[in-house]
Amino acid sequence: MSDKLTRREFLKIAAVGTATASVLTGCGTAARYVTRKPYQDMPEYTLPGRSTFYATTCRECPAACGLIVRTVEGRAVKVEGNPNHPVNHGRTCSRGQATLQGLYNPDRLDGPISQSGGSPASPMTWDAAVEIVKGALISGGFTFLLGQTPHHLTDLISEISTAFGAPPPLNYGALGMFEGRATLLQAATALFGLPILPQFDLANADVILSFGANFLETWQSPVAYTRDYATMRGGKSGQRGYLIQFEPRMSLTAANADEWIPVAPGTEGLVAQALGKLVAEQMGSPVPAAFASADVAAAAQASGVAETELRRLARVFANSPRKLALPGGGALGHTNGLEAAQAILFLNVLAGNVDQPGGMSFQPLAAYNQGAAAATAFTGMQELVGRMQRGELKALFIHGFNPVFELPKSLGFTEALANVPLVISFASFPDETVALADYVFPDHTPLESWGYQKIAVGSEQAALSGSQPVVVPLYDTKATADVLLAALQAAGDNSLIAKVPYTDEVDFLQKKLAPLASEDGFYTAVTPKGFWAKWLQFGGWWKTGPSTMPLFAVNDQPLAVGVPEFSGGGEFFLLPYPHPHLGDGSQANRPWLQETPDQTTTVMWGTWVAIHPETADRLGVTDDDVVRVASSTGEIEASVYRYPGIRLDAAAIPFGQGHTALGRFAEGRGANPLAVVDSKLNAAGDLAFGATKVTITPTGKKQKLARYESRVGVYGYDK
Amino acid sequence: MTAEAKPMALPHTSEEEDPREHLMHDPLPREKMNNMVMEAMTTAPLEYKIVVGILALLVGVCLFGAWGYMTMTGIGLAGVRRPVFWGFFISTFVFWIGISHAGTFVSAILRVFKAEFRRPFTRAAELMTTFGLAAGAMYPLIHLGRVWVFYFMVPYPNQRGLWPNFRSPLVWDFIAITTYLLGSTMYLFMPLLPDLAMARDHSTGWRKFLYRILSLGWRGSETEWRHLRTAIKIFAWAIIPVMFSVHTIVSWDFAVSTTIGWHSTIFGPFFVAGAIFSGVSAVVMVLFIVRSSMVNMKYFIRPEHFDALGKLVLIFSMGWLYFYFNEYMVEWYGGDATSKEVWHYITQGPLSWLWLLMLVCNIAIPWLTLWNKKIRRTPWAMFIITFLVNVGMYIERYLLIPGELARNRIPFDWGDYAPRIEPIIAVGSISLFLLLYAIMSRVIPLIPVWEVQEGQMAHAMKRVGKAKVPVVTETE
Amino acid sequence: MNETVHDENVGKWTMVIDLDQCTGCQACVTACSMENNVAFVGEADAAYGRGMHWIRVVREWNGEMPDLTADFRPVMCQQCGEAPCEPVCPVFASTKSVPEQINLQVYNRCIGTRYCGNNCPYIARTFNWFDYERPEPLNFQLNPDVTVRSRGVMEKCTFCVQRIRRGEEDANAEGRPVHDGDVTPACAQACPAQAITFGDITDPESRVAKLARSARAERFLEEVGTEPRVIYLKGNGKVVREG
Repeated sequence: MSDKLTRREFLKIAAVGTATASVLTGCGTAARYVTRKPYQDMPEYTLPGRSTFYATTCRECPAACGLIVRTVEGRAVKVEGNPNHPVNHGRTCSRGQATLQGLYNPDRLDGPISQSGGSPASPMTWDAAVEIVKGALISGGFTFLLGQTPHHLTDLISEISTAFGAPPPLNYGALGMFEGRATLLQAATALFGLPILPQFDLANADVILSFGANFLETWQSPVAYTRDYATMRGGKSGQRGYLIQFEPRMSLTAANADEWIPVAPGTEGLVAQALGKLVAEQMGSPVPAAFASADVAAAAQASGVAETELRRLARVFANSPRKLALPGGGALGHTNGLEAAQAILFLNVLAGNVDQPGGMSFQPLAAYNQGAAAATAFTGMQELVGRMQRGELKALFIHGFNPVFELPKSLGFTEALANVPLVISFASFPDETVALADYVFPDHTPLESWGYQKIAVGSEQAALSGSQPVVVPLYDTKATADVLLAALQAAGDNSLIAKVPYTDEVDFLQKKLAPLASEDGFYTAVTPKGFWAKWLQFGGWWKTGPSTMPLFAVNDQPLAVGVPEFSGGGEFFLLPYPHPHLGDGSQANRPWLQETPDQTTTVMWGTWVAIHPETADRLGVTDDDVVRVASSTGEIEASVYRYPGIRLDAAAIPFGQGHTALGRFAEGRGANPLAVVDSKLNAAGDLAFGATKVTITPTGKKQKLARYESRVGVYGYDK
Repeated sequence: MTAEAKPMALPHTSEEEDPREHLMHDPLPREKMNNMVMEAMTTAPLEYKIVVGILALLVGVCLFGAWGYMTMTGIGLAGVRRPVFWGFFISTFVFWIGISHAGTFVSAILRVFKAEFRRPFTRAAELMTTFGLAAGAMYPLIHLGRVWVFYFMVPYPNQRGLWPNFRSPLVWDFIAITTYLLGSTMYLFMPLLPDLAMARDHSTGWRKFLYRILSLGWRGSETEWRHLRTAIKIFAWAIIPVMFSVHTIVSWDFAVSTTIGWHSTIFGPFFVAGAIFSGVSAVVMVLFIVRSSMVNMKYFIRPEHFDALGKLVLIFSMGWLYFYFNEYMVEWYGGDATSKEVWHYITQGPLSWLWLLMLVCNIAIPWLTLWNKKIRRTPWAMFIITFLVNVGMYIERYLLIPGELARNRIPFDWGDYAPRIEPIIAVGSISLFLLLYAIMSRVIPLIPVWEVQEGQMAHAMKRVGKAKVPVVTETE
Repeated sequence: MNETVHDENVGKWTMVIDLDQCTGCQACVTACSMENNVAFVGEADAAYGRGMHWIRVVREWNGEMPDLTADFRPVMCQQCGEAPCEPVCPVFASTKSVPEQINLQVYNRCIGTRYCGNNCPYIARTFNWFDYERPEPLNFQLNPDVTVRSRGVMEKCTFCVQRIRRGEEDANAEGRPVHDGDVTPACAQACPAQAITFGDITDPESRVAKLARSARAERFLEEVGTEPRVIYLKGNGKVVREG
C-alpha cells in the first residue's frame, strides 16, 4: 500500500476494517441463538448511531436485579436498571454499574486451558475440553462446587448429577457466608417449618431493629432494600421511619440509622431475646416461650447496652404500629448464631407483622423459585474437604466460586485440592482457584450468557429474572451448560440423554420456561416462541401483583441463646465483613470498583484495619501504620484506619482484597481477613466468622492508604 | 575601602566624607573609562567559561529537558493535585515577575526622581527586568496542561471567531506581561545606544559588526542626544504605570478569585510592595556578583550604592510588613471559619516553619541589620541579607499559592501539596536567568558609561564659606 | 440582589438531592464514571488526590461514639448560575451553555491553566494529570456520546448533557416538548434510594420545581453567591425516640 491514501482507498480500508468487527444479532424477538454477522449486515432494528437495549440480569451478587444494557454497534456501553423489574425498579448499585468492567476486563481468560499435573498453561480446543468433561462424568466420583452460578446452570447441573448418581452440587460463597444464609434458612425451618428466606418490607415499616443487617451494602438484596429504606425515610408508614442498628462496627447502614448501638460482638441474640421479653411485657401480651428464658440484666451486662436503654428500645419497638426486626449476618456469624436468628425472627412473630405491611413475609413455594436461596452450610464444605483429603473425589468441577480465596484458610481447602486428581474450573477470570486447576474451560461472562436467576428476596412479586447475551462473546469461551450437555451427548448413553434431554443451553431454558406460560404472569403468550420473545424483551417473568405465602405454623419453643464463644486468645474481636464494592472478592478486578471510595472510610484500592482511635493510641499506632493481625490460624498485615465508629475491643477488616491472582487490578493488593478466621461453627453448622479473637501488633512499617477524604480535614491535625 | 575613604582622625570633620568616595566626585578621563568598560566586557577568563558552560548544561537539562519530559508525559509529574491546582510553578512565576520590578524601579523611578546614585547600575537593573520577565514568562507556559495550544490565549483572528476571554485575569496577565516585556526591552535598548556606539568605536571584528548594527548609526550629534533624552524621559514616565500595573494584575490572578485567603482587595499594592522589595534585593545580589566577578567594576559600583539600596530594602521591608499585617488583620477580624483554617495551616500547621522562616528573612534580618550603615556598606553582608530576603519572599509566594489552596471550605476535600519535578525546573529557570545575564554581560556594556560621565560632569565640589559642598548641575 | 442582574439566571435543568434519603452508597459515583468515560487513575494517584470522580460523597462525622452519626452529601459540579470558573478561564473552555443553563467544559479548547479548579468553591473539578491507561478491551465500554479526555484538560460533571441533548432530540423528533422525566442523568438513574431527582425547574409542575419549594431545600455554600443549580433537601436530623 502506498503511503498516500486516496479517499476511495480509505473508504475501502474502512469497510474491510468494520467487516471484521461484528455485531450481535439474533437477540431479536424470535431468535434463539447468537450469531456473528458482518457489520454491514446488521439486523434491521440496529441503527448506526442509535443504541440497542437488551434486558438481562445482574449476576454480581445473588440479588438478581434486572438490567437494561445499552449497546452501540455491537458493544455494551452502559448498564442501567430495568425499570420494570420487581427487584430493583430500574436502580443499580455500584457493583451492577461496573459489570461492564468484568465483560471487558483485560485479564479475562480467552479460551480453554490445559495445565494438567502442574504443567504450564497451554491452550486447547473445545472438542478436547468436551472429551475431558465426558471422561470425568463417565468415570464418576465427581462433585460440582458452585457459588454465584446462574440458577439455570445450577438446575441443569442438579439434573446431570442426579442422572449420574453423583451427590447434588454444593453451593457456597462468601456473600452467603457473611450473611449467614444457611443459618437463617435453618432458623426459618426451625420456626416455620420452611427452608426459605423471609423477606422484609422495610418500606412500610415504622421501627426497624436491625441486628447487624447491612442491607444498604451487601445484605441479601441491597438495591431493593435501599429503595425500601428510602421509602421508609420518606414516611410511607405515616411518619418518618426509625432505624436502630445493633452492630459493633458502624457500617454504612449503621451510619444511616437513627440509633447505632455498638453491642459487643455475638451478643445480638441475647439482646434480641431480652428485647423480646421486654417488648412482650410492654405490649401486655404473654411472653412467648422463645423469650421466656431471657435474662435482661445478663444480656445488658454481656452486650454493654444499659438495661434502661434496653427498656427504652423495647418501648420504642412495642409502641410502634409497624415494627420489624432484621437478622443480619453480623448477628448470625457467631457460635450462638442459630439461636440469635431464631430470636430475631421471633421478634417479628411477636410484633405480629408476618404477612403484614411493614413486616416479614415469605415468597410462595414454586418451581420457579425453588432453591433460590440454596446455601450449603459450612459443614458441607468441611465434608467436601474431608472427602478430598481422603482421596475419595475423582473430579471436582468448580463454577462461580473461588474457594481458595473465599474459604477460610483454616479449612485447608487449598491443601486438600492437591489430592483431587482432576480439577476443572469454569471461571472466566484467572483467579486463585484457576491457578490450581488442571483444566480451565471458561464460561461466558454474565453479559454474554443465557440463563435465568431465581429471586429469593427483594421482590414483592414472585419472579424469575432472565438473562440473555447483550454482545457476542468476546473470546473463545463456551457456555458451561453447553459444555456439559455436549459431554453428555458425546458419552452416547441414551438412558442418560433421556434423563437430561436437552440439545443445548437455549433448549434447556426454553423447556424449563415453558410451564411459566400458563402461570399468571404479567404477560401472556400463545406460542412458546411468543413467550420466549417476551421473556427476552422484558428480561424475565413475574406476577402482576404481590405474592406471598401465609405461614402455616409457628413453632414457639424455648430458646437458649448462649453466650458467644471465641477462639484464640487475642485481645480484639475480629469483624470481617464483605467489602461494599468488591462483594465476594470476585469484583476486585474491576478498576472502577477499586477506585470507588469505600462508603464510610473513603479508602480506595486497599485493605484497612479499622480500629478506634483510642485503641490505636493505646497500641501506639496511627493511620497508615501497618499492623499484624494474628490469630491461632494465621496472620495478615494491613494499614490502620483510625475509625471513629467501632468498639474499642474490635477490629474490622473488609473482605474482598488480598488476591494473589485475578489479574492486574486485583493482584497483590491488600489482605484477606479469612486467613485469620478460625473454622468455628454455630449450631446450624455454618461458619461463625465473627468468633475469632486476634492480636494486633505494630510492624513499624507504613503503607499509605489511598483515601478520598482529607485525613487532616476530617480528623484534624496529628498531635 | 570604606576605611581608607574616611578621614577618621579628624573629629570635627567626622561627619564629612571624602567626596572622592562617591563615583560622581571621582571622575576619570572619558577615554580611560571607556576602555575600562570595554575591558570588563571583553575579559572572559576560564572561570567565566566554566560557569557559563555549567549554566548552559543546567538550562538544557533542568529547564528544557525536564520541561520537555513533562510535556511528553503529563503535568502530573508536578506535585499539583486537587484542590491545589497551582503550586511551585506559579509561585516561581510570581517570584520572577517580582524580581523584574527592580529594573524599572531603579532605572525609571530613580531616574524620574533624579536619584544620582542610580547612574552606574541602571543597566544592570534593566537587564534583570528583561531576563527576569523572560524567566518568569516561561512559567505560565510550563504549568499549562496542554502547552502546545498555548496560542489559544493569544487574541488572533480566526475563522471560528474565537477570542480569548478578556474577563479572565490570565488574559490580563498575558497582555500585561507582554507589554511590560516589550516596553522594558525598549527601555533597556534606548539608553544603550550611545554605549553601543562607544563599543563600536572601540572594537574590531564581530563585535564591531554587531555593534554597528545595534547602535543604529549613532554619531552623538546634538540632535540625536536631544531626541534620545526626550525619548528616555517619556519612556521613564510611561513605564512606571506599566510596572505598577503588571504586578497588580498578577495579584488579581489571586484577588479576583473566590478562594479563601486570596479574595482580598489589598493584594494589588501588597504585591507591588513585595515585588519591589524582592526586586531591589535582587539588584543588590547582582551588583555584588558583577562587582566581584568582573574587572574594573569596583570603580563603578561602590559601597555607597549598596548603602543606598540597603536603605531602599529596609523601607520596602517595612512597607511589605505593613501590607502583610493588614492582610492578616482583616482576615482575622473577618472571623470566617475557613480563613481561620487557612491561617492556622500556614502559621501553626505543617508549613509553620516556612512561615517563621519568612518572617525572619523578610523582617527580622533586614530590620536588625540594615539600620547599620557599616553593614549596608559591606557588599558581602548585603549579598547575604538580600539573598535571605529573596528566600523569604519566595516563601511568601509559596505560602500564598499552594499553601492557601490546600485549605478550603469543605474540610473533606483539603489536600496537602508537595513539589515533585518543580524544583528541578526552578533550578533550570534560575540558571537560564544567570546564563542570559552572564552572556549579556560580555556582549553589551554593563555600565551606562555615558550616564556616569554625564553625572560626573554635572557634579562638582563648590566652596561655600569654609566648607566644600557637592553640587549638581541640571543637565537634562 | 438586584433583580435585573439575575434575570438571565432563572435556571433550567436542576437537580434535587434528598439528603434524608441518600445513604451514601456511592452507586452514583460508579454510575457517573461508567456513563462519562471517566478514567481511573490507580492506587498511587488516587492516594495523592488525583481521583477523577466527577461526583463524590462528602461524608461528615458528627459527635463521638456511641452517639456518632454520619452525614452524606453527594457533591458534583453545581452548575452555578454565577459560576466562578467561567470568568477566570482565559480561553472560554469553561463556559455557560445558555439553552440548558448549565456550565460546560469544552475539552478541545481547554489549555490546562487549572484556574477554574482553584476557583471552584465546591472542588468539583478534576484534572487529567496524565493520559490514564485503559487497557484493551476496557476501551470497548467507552460511551460514544461522551468525549474521551486527553491529558492536560480539566473535566467535571456535565449534568449528563449528552442525555439532555438526546432527550431533546427525541422529543423534537416526536414533535412534542420534553416531558418531566425524559432526561435522567446517570447518577439519578442509578441511585438505589431514588434520592436524586432531575428536571426542568422552569416548569412549575415538574418534580424538581415542587421539591425546590420544599422547606428543606437549601443550596450548598450558598453564601458564596454562586447560585447553584443543585438543590439539597436537608436531612431531617436524628431525633432519638423515647418510646
